Amino acid sequence: MAKTTRKCWLTFEGGHQNEPCLWKMSTKYPDVVFDIRQASVQKDIGVMAVLFDGEESRVEAALQYLVSLGVKVDPVVGGSLVAG
Amino acid sequence: MSFVKALRCKECGAEYPIEPRTICDNDFGPVEVAYDYDAMQGKVTRRSIEAGPRSLWRYRDLLPIEGEPRVGLNSGFTPLIRADNLARELGVQELYIKDDSANYPTFSYKDRVVSVALTKAMEFGFDTVGCASTGNLAHSVSAHAAAAGLRAFVMIPHDLEEGKIVGSLVFGPRMVKIKGNYDDVNRLCSQIADKYNWAIVNVNLRPFYTEGAKTHGFEIAEQLGWRLPRHTVVPVAGGTLLPKVYKAYRELITLGLVQDNHPAMYAAQAAGCNPVVAALEEGADLFKPQKPNTIAKSIAIGNPADGYYVIKDVRQSGGYGASADDNQIIDAIKLLARTEGIFTEPAGGTTLACAIKLIESGRIPRNESICLSITGNGMKTLEVMQGQFAQSPTINAKLAEFDRVVGQIAEMAPTPRSRRLAGAPDPIG
Repeated sequence: MAKTTRKCWLTFEGGHQNEPCLWKMSTKYPDVVFDIRQASVQKDIGVMAVLFDGEESRVEAALQYLVSLGVKVDPVVGGSLVAG
Repeated sequence: MSFVKALRCKECGAEYPIEPRTICDNDFGPVEVAYDYDAMQGKVTRRSIEAGPRSLWRYRDLLPIEGEPRVGLNSGFTPLIRADNLARELGVQELYIKDDSANYPTFSYKDRVVSVALTKAMEFGFDTVGCASTGNLAHSVSAHAAAAGLRAFVMIPHDLEEGKIVGSLVFGPRMVKIKGNYDDVNRLCSQIADKYNWAIVNVNLRPFYTEGAKTHGFEIAEQLGWRLPRHTVVPVAGGTLLPKVYKAYRELITLGLVQDNHPAMYAAQAAGCNPVVAALEEGADLFKPQKPNTIAKSIAIGNPADGYYVIKDVRQSGGYGASADDNQIIDAIKLLARTEGIFTEPAGGTTLACAIKLIESGRIPRNESICLSITGNGMKTLEVMQGQFAQSPTINAKLAEFDRVVGQIAEMAPTPRSRRLAGAPDPIG
């Protein structure tokens, strides 16, 4: 199976910043390695930069699982892309 | 000679060579261009800058290019206007408009960032450039690429208005309509940049692209006689312009070209898309993404990744933010047009409407210098102003008929002068 590495911004809102979403993901997908590179969590919102590593299908499934938990998952593309 | 040192992560400070790179490998933080300011001392002076061309390239020593400028040789150096008529309306002493609605060749501040990005793209050896956009950026990339002989791809959401599409297509880019919203287009563009090795200006050339925005700030300082406005109000979309204008001010201070008057930066957003201003008002460091709903479409970015740096710089400078609803934006467009003869797009209307709020709330004192950043031209967004004016009378070509309607016409569109002549009270007493 093809291995992949995905760099993602995870945004936790609406109470999800107080839930152990990454722990839930890791118990369900223990073969997907996650590496938190940056994080800022405040009362109403949390943002993390996370590197995911593993088999492509498993990483994709793990990210979809996070989405199903209410976490917003965006690829790191290096800053906002300014429409204008 | 170039004074560029490296690309440096804004978060951890890790340095990288000059290459088409956007993020830091360690923490995924954005990288930006770092310069050797010590080496600039005595070499980059007011005189050296004033001896340069009347374009943004007079600041080339403070821009990330190695050789000669290749693109946008007539971009920048837009007017800085002392707006005394508007100042009287607002009851302030010293008000300036930095008018990028007159920028060349596509009438928005995007001509600055694209000039630098495409010059850098050519230095890197790219033969194909592109962007994800819906308006001003697409126009600018298309025009500059045409002039430079580069192949251009413009990626847009599939449901864009025809007028905005034509404004790009006339320059001959390859345009691809993407089913989805801005975010979808943006994500695809990052994949395209990787796979096809194209220079997508606001993706893999972003650190160089954003540096072009500094020239807006350099020009304000130089055109003010090498001093900084005490208060600068800037519209915020993705968050490129405000931090770069602030960086420009700090660079000029570092080089001793202007006195440090502690310039304060203010963020202006539409109420229908104000994630940064909401965070400023709540005292939060992080903003909550929003779904945009405003007529100010060129600044309708609900999840500006550089918004974090806007918040940081606004706070550090002692500034603040404000947001304006659609009616206030339209009123401000009209006010700027009838007082100063400048027709701006809704982003510019947002800047003025927010400045009015900041002045009226006392955040910006009336007796200190204020500069408003007008970033785009109203001729591109005529649909916003449709239905905003009374019908003009139609008459036969007879003087008697003109005599009959002339009084009505004066009533329909009073100028400040005609109102004062008619005995209206002076707005500042």
